[in-house]
Amino acid sequence: MLAERYEKATGVKLLVSYGSSGTLTTQILNGAPMDLFLGADFVFPEKIVAAEMADSRAPVAYAKGTLVLWARKDSPLQPISLDTLVDKRVTSVAIANDLHAPYGQAAVAALKRMKMYDQVKPHLVIAENIAQAAQFVESGNAQLGLISLTAASSQRFQAEGTFVRVPTTTYAPILQCAVVMAKSNRLAEAHAFLDWLLKPEIQAVLGTMGLEPVK
Amino acid sequence: MDIQALWLTLRLAASTTAILLVIALPLAWWIASGRGVARALVQAVVALPLVLPPTVLGFYLLVAMGPLTAPGRLLMRVFGHPLAFSFEGLLVGSVLYSLPFAVQPLVAGFKAVDAGYVEAAEGLGVRPFAVFLSVVLPLARASLLTSAVLTFTHTVGEFGVVLMLGGNIPGATRTLSISLYDQVQDFNYAAANRTALLLLAISLAALLVIYLVPGLRRVDGRQADIVQ
Repeated sequence: MLAERYEKATGVKLLVSYGSSGTLTTQILNGAPMDLFLGADFVFPEKIVAAEMADSRAPVAYAKGTLVLWARKDSPLQPISLDTLVDKRVTSVAIANDLHAPYGQAAVAALKRMKMYDQVKPHLVIAENIAQAAQFVESGNAQLGLISLTAASSQRFQAEGTFVRVPTTTYAPILQCAVVMAKSNRLAEAHAFLDWLLKPEIQAVLGTMGLEPVK
Repeated sequence: MDIQALWLTLRLAASTTAILLVIALPLAWWIASGRGVARALVQAVVALPLVLPPTVLGFYLLVAMGPLTAPGRLLMRVFGHPLAFSFEGLLVGSVLYSLPFAVQPLVAGFKAVDAGYVEAAEGLGVRPFAVFLSVVLPLARASLLTSAVLTFTHTVGEFGVVLMLGGNIPGATRTLSISLYDQVQDFNYAAANRTALLLLAISLAALLVIYLVPGLRRVDGRQADIVQ
C-alpha cells in the first residue's frame, strides 16, 4: 500500500521482497542484492550494521509495531479476550517463529509475562513469519493468532475477524528499524525512500495501517 | 542435534513409504498392463508432483482442505482436527508429494518383465493375482526397492509442503528440514552444519543402496530405469 503511494508520488518503482526479519537478514548477510532492509525490530538490522554492510552507524527506527490477539468472527470462541488464550476449547494458537521473527519473540514474551505460556505452549502453531501466522488463523486452520496490528488492520482481516490488543507492558517494544545497504547501486534512492517513510504525513498514515509513528 | 526431529522425519518417511507401496503396487501394475487415454491421464496426474511447486500442494491442503471448506470439514470429522499442523496432515501431503517416486520405478519395472513368463504362467492356469505375486513381483524386485528407497528419501527431503502446512510443532510437524531452516535463520550455523550433514548422509546412504547392492539389480543385470 505504501509502496504504491510512493511509486505514484515519485515514479520510482519499488521491488519488494517479503520474509521474516531473520530470514531476510541471513540472506542479506550472505550477499542478497538489496538496497534497503525494513526489519520488524532493532536486533536484525543491527546485525547488518555490525557486519559493516550498512550505510549508517545505526539502524533507523521507522515505526512501532503492536501485537494483537485475532480470531475469525465465525469462531465459537467469540467474543474473544486475552483470557480466551487459556480457554479449554482452544487447541491451536498461531504465532510467528520466536527464533527469527520479532512478532514471534513478542508473542512468547507476552505469553510468559501473562503467565499463560505453559498452558498455551502445547497449542502453539509456529509460522515462518508474521504474515504466515496471520494466514494460518485467517484460513481457519488455527483458532487464534497472535499477529501484528498491521495484518489485523487490513481490510480483509477487519471484515473477517476481531482482535484485542495485547498489553504493551507485556513485551519489549517492537521498534521496527531499517538500514540502507552500503553496497547498494541505488544508495540515493534507498535513502530517499527511508526519508520519505519518516515524513510526518507518511508517519501519520502508518497509524491507519496498524503501526505507530516513531516520533 | 534435534533428535526429536530426526525421529519424526524417519517416522514420516517410513509411514509414507508403507502407505505409498500399498497404493503404488496395484496402480503401477494397472498402468503397466495396457495403453489408452485413461492410463495416460492417470500417469500424467501421478507425475504432477514432479513438476508442480510444493507450494501448490501446500496451498490446496491448507486452504482448499481447510476448516472453511466442505471437504475440509469432512476431513475434520475424520481426524477430529484440521489437516494442518498435524502428523496426519503431513502424511497426506507426503503421500501426494512422493507419489511419482513410488509409482514410476514400478511402472518401468513391470513393463520390463518379459511377457513370456506371464503368458506361460497364465497358460498353466495360474490365477492373475498369483501370477503377479509369484512371477511379476520377484522379477521386478529391483524396482520395488528403488521405489521404496526413493519414496523414503524424497519424503526425508520434503520442505515446502511441510513449511506451509506444518506449523513447526516439535514431535508432530518439525521435521529435520524445518529444523535446519530454523537453525540457519537463527544464525546457529554449528547446529545447522550437523543437521545438514545428517540429511546428506541419510540421502547418500539410501541412494548407495540402490546403486551398490548387487541383489537389487534385475535378473538380467540392468538397474531400474529411474536411476540410470
